[in-house]
Amino acid sequence: MKNPLRLLSFLAAGFALTAIAPALQAQKLVIKGSDTLGAKLVPTIAEDYRALNPGRSFEIAAEGSSTGIAALISGTADIGMSSRRARPAELSNGAAKGVTLRPLIVCYDGIAIIVNAANPITTLTKRQVEQVFTGDLRSWDDLGSGAASGPISIYTRNTASGTYADFKALAMNKRDYAPSSQKLAGNEQIVAEVAANPNGIGYVGLAYINAPGVKVVAIEGDLPSKESVLANRYPYARPNFFYTNGEPQGEAARFIDYVLSEAGQQVVERVGFVPVR
Amino acid sequence: MRGLSEPKNPPAFQIHKRSRRIFGLSREEAIRAFFGGQALVAVVVLALITVFLFREGFGFFAQQRAELTRYRRSGVEFVDLLRAQEKAHGELGRRLGLRGEAADRFADAIVPLRALLGELGEWALEIKESEESRADGAPTRFGEVAEITAQYPKIEDTFGELTAQLGTITESSPGLSPEQRAQLEKHLSGFGATLAKLRAWDAEKPVSGWQAARSFFFGRQWLTASFWQDFYGVVPLFTGSLLVSAIALGLAVPLGLGAAIYVSQIAGARERSVIKPAIEFIAAIPSVVLGFFGIAVLGQALRALSQVEWLAWLPGFPYAERLNALTAGCLLALIAVPTIFTLAEDALASVPRALKEGSYALGARRMQTVARVIVPSALSGMVSAVLLGLGRVIGETMVVLLCAGNRIAIPDFSAGLGVVTQPVHTMTGIIAQEMGEVATGTIHYRALFVVGLLLFLIALTLNYSAQKILGRYRLPSLR
Repeated sequence: MKNPLRLLSFLAAGFALTAIAPALQAQKLVIKGSDTLGAKLVPTIAEDYRALNPGRSFEIAAEGSSTGIAALISGTADIGMSSRRARPAELSNGAAKGVTLRPLIVCYDGIAIIVNAANPITTLTKRQVEQVFTGDLRSWDDLGSGAASGPISIYTRNTASGTYADFKALAMNKRDYAPSSQKLAGNEQIVAEVAANPNGIGYVGLAYINAPGVKVVAIEGDLPSKESVLANRYPYARPNFFYTNGEPQGEAARFIDYVLSEAGQQVVERVGFVPVR
Repeated sequence: MRGLSEPKNPPAFQIHKRSRRIFGLSREEAIRAFFGGQALVAVVVLALITVFLFREGFGFFAQQRAELTRYRRSGVEFVDLLRAQEKAHGELGRRLGLRGEAADRFADAIVPLRALLGELGEWALEIKESEESRADGAPTRFGEVAEITAQYPKIEDTFGELTAQLGTITESSPGLSPEQRAQLEKHLSGFGATLAKLRAWDAEKPVSGWQAARSFFFGRQWLTASFWQDFYGVVPLFTGSLLVSAIALGLAVPLGLGAAIYVSQIAGARERSVIKPAIEFIAAIPSVVLGFFGIAVLGQALRALSQVEWLAWLPGFPYAERLNALTAGCLLALIAVPTIFTLAEDALASVPRALKEGSYALGARRMQTVARVIVPSALSGMVSAVLLGLGRVIGETMVVLLCAGNRIAIPDFSAGLGVVTQPVHTMTGIIAQEMGEVATGTIHYRALFVVGLLLFLIALTLNYSAQKILGRYRLPSLR
């Protein structure tokens, strides 16, 4: 270095920038968790929120409900999106680290069973759904007349997903999935695979059923929709949660208030979920 | 030269040049320290990674032993022995392929056992969960397990009923073929062994560390986030990794070695200047881009190809799932070809010219020289190239996570070569898929680390053998 002072001045500038950076990030809200909520709904609401309150920024990572709760416990997220309730093991893990997991219902969702559009079947009984997804029935012929023929290809979410656990509890009597099921990362991927495979069957949230190439199967006569979920007729309905560490504070509280407000719930309905009111 | 004592000159001619010293070192010493320090940092980081992997992973075996002990002591293992019987009944039903009334009676025959299972299962699960959430010092419920095992007479009766039911089905269905009857007989004769196992089951039998290790390395089921019991067996993931690697090498070795032989021995200068950079360019494509290409284009294309009628004789064709081992294997072959090509080409180029010239001098043609002299001398280098390609392919994550289908089950090898069209899951894929959801220090977290450790050891072994083979058979240079 010709001039040691130049080196010192560079270093000083570097330190100054790193000091400012946390201040810039003070307005960023980190939301991690469910793919059901985080793929479409939360980004849409976040956009609307940003239009009303400029200067806020969001970081939304939707890799599955379990990742959201894990991130909240380890302190890397402000809000954890979850499409299932937290398990007792997670609650005690959080308590051990000083984190109180507080749930807040933001919308309701129905888990719709989808098949390929070319599959003639239109309705399934709850028992048949359990038998298909646990692997007791392996061929479309076993579902009686009116179905396609050939082996059933089951597409499910993976273990990080809240929908995975909810479906097991609601539809499969807590039994384990068939070992032949393929574990995909998100709702959109399940839709893509079922649309491409004539023998495919899978489950997605209400917001994802209007895709080309797939059709929704009625469960004992009830199709999933806002009305059937609110009237408790559709059997695979569940609430979706935002988890926070204790009472939500600051930016997180303001965002959650917006989500639960009239404007936010209108977006919920527009995206395809069932609003809390 | 600096630092040596210099001859004392008269004052007018003394040299006053100060040698530049950085931190007390001369410039040469400083440069040596800098590069030596870099090397040291690399070695230290590698050692730290190894130590960290072992430390996080080894805790798994102790935790698994505790888990298996709880599994046994709460009676869940007992219920699973019964459940295996129910599963076997279902398998038999599928194999027999009964129709109509016989099928209904077959399905009804298992209902009493299923009801008993449900009842005992709920009880055992409650005992297990109470143990997991028990505070220190509170009483355990393991004593209740004795009541579960005391149900043995009821179990025996249920089995007796089942035998009678199956017997009636056999008698009243004249349409059964002799091999179907034989299968039923075999199934019925297995009941005695199951009952003996249930009778001999002991809740307090200790679980050894060896059993915990065996449950991981030879366990045939990887099941997490289950309401019943989690199993951490690596065999389905290991066979998945091996299957996609075998497919990848099966495609990449002929292509890579063939291209290397062609480019180094047969091609002219102009061809070489086109082909070599093109193949090496493939190595520059990011693997996630290849994975995306696989989902978007290749999976669909291969499946459409399999539906073509005149290809139906190929094993495994036609198939229905787009994402399977074949798609992932093709993309991995694409990744492996540049590695194999570059290293094999280097090995071929380093064969001494004297061997080639000697062969020509003895009157051999070009192809004879290539096939009989040059390739055998470079064989060790080519084998080493293949091993390094295998190492690269086994460790590849993004492509298999996106394209291999993610089915956590041992592929069905009874389909022969058709097994390549089945979806599989791999060791790298499971780590990438599940690492976001595990809390630090839990048994699942440590199980993933042991899978990572296994991958690390496999890659280490492959690299080590590649080095050894290369070193042992290296030709002395003849100049």
